[in-house]
Amino acid sequence: MWAMILGVAAFLVILVAPIDTYLFDRQGDAATISIIQAAIAFALVIALVFGLSRMKRLYLQKKLGPGI
Amino acid sequence: MLDGTSFVVYGVIVSAISFVIIYFLTPVAIRLLEARGRVVPDAHKPNKPSIPRPAGPVIMAGIAAAELLLYAATLNSAVLAVLLTTTIAFVVGYIDDNRVLPGWFKPVALLAAAVPLVILGAHGNNLNLIFGSAFIPLLYVPLIFVIIPITGNTINSIDVLNGVGSGFVIISTIPLLASIAIFGGSPEVFLAGLPLLFGTIALYRYHRFPSRIFPGDSGTLLLGAMFGALAIAGSSEIIGVIALLPAVMNSFLFLASVKKIVEHRQVKTRPVVLLEDFKLAASQERSAPATLVRLILAEGPLCEKEIGNQIFRLAVFTALLAFASIAIQYVIFFGL
Repeated sequence: MWAMILGVAAFLVILVAPIDTYLFDRQGDAATISIIQAAIAFALVIALVFGLSRMKRLYLQKKLGPGI
Repeated sequence: MLDGTSFVVYGVIVSAISFVIIYFLTPVAIRLLEARGRVVPDAHKPNKPSIPRPAGPVIMAGIAAAELLLYAATLNSAVLAVLLTTTIAFVVGYIDDNRVLPGWFKPVALLAAAVPLVILGAHGNNLNLIFGSAFIPLLYVPLIFVIIPITGNTINSIDVLNGVGSGFVIISTIPLLASIAIFGGSPEVFLAGLPLLFGTIALYRYHRFPSRIFPGDSGTLLLGAMFGALAIAGSSEIIGVIALLPAVMNSFLFLASVKKIVEHRQVKTRPVVLLEDFKLAASQERSAPATLVRLILAEGPLCEKEIGNQIFRLAVFTALLAFASIAIQYVIFFGL
């Protein structure tokens, strides 16, 4: 999970934070850019949650049986 | 800006105040709560002994005295914001200690605890993301309203066994304070974090296995919200999350299982079962929620103290991960 957090942090810093530069050439509206950044970050968190939920289910099934 | 001598003197004083007040007032609180019948059964022990609850008012007194003195000496608005956030979380928890409230109450009411951080401008505009920072002036404010309810409730949720809540906060606060000292940019915020560490060490003396007092919702919510407020005011949000990972995982597992915000007492199937020898075992029921304790017990039954030690080992491991993250960030920010 630590590696996943670091991966998400690196993705946000490298690709999402400078979105104004490479998508709008520093001319974008601050609110629009913030909404796009928030949407990407939110989607990442959802993906993280689904990934963790899957890992949790697999772990419990392995330890407590397939009925869990 | 504080000079070196003032920094050390204030640090020693605020640490000592929170430690001494909580250390010496908790026994008084234990006697008062017992005399008033404010006790709850310790469900995992033979004969279910009655344990006084809550210790929240004593923790609040120790932390508030230290923070008020620090604010009077520095007039730093971030210190005041941390104190007010902590106080509101305490009030929310104290209401929950005294009344049976629906599951949504705590997370929703904790939104109010985030307000002082915003109004007093204790936050920056940059989210510290280890590999760099993101300038998010518009997004940062809603993020504060997410962080405070999460940190408050995660500490509240993990405090299910003797000493776990306070012991976990002690371990998690150490890397947080290190991060604030290096990246926080404000010595006053670091000083404001010391009462959390030393006050919780004093509390652990009475909360550790076998507990002589329980912190209650008022105690755990104030500790969690203060942790979150310090992470925000000290630009250490991600380090704080990493240090709290076992507690965050516990809340996530529970929420992912029950798929709605409910109190633990409202869950019909318990995640663990108490055996005749007073060891705890993971429930085999499909409908039982997944929790950190249930995952730990998936390996086999353990007694309460052993589970607490397993959680502390996890906390130490994630604290080390937080220190590793601090090292990565230090190299990126300042070079070798």
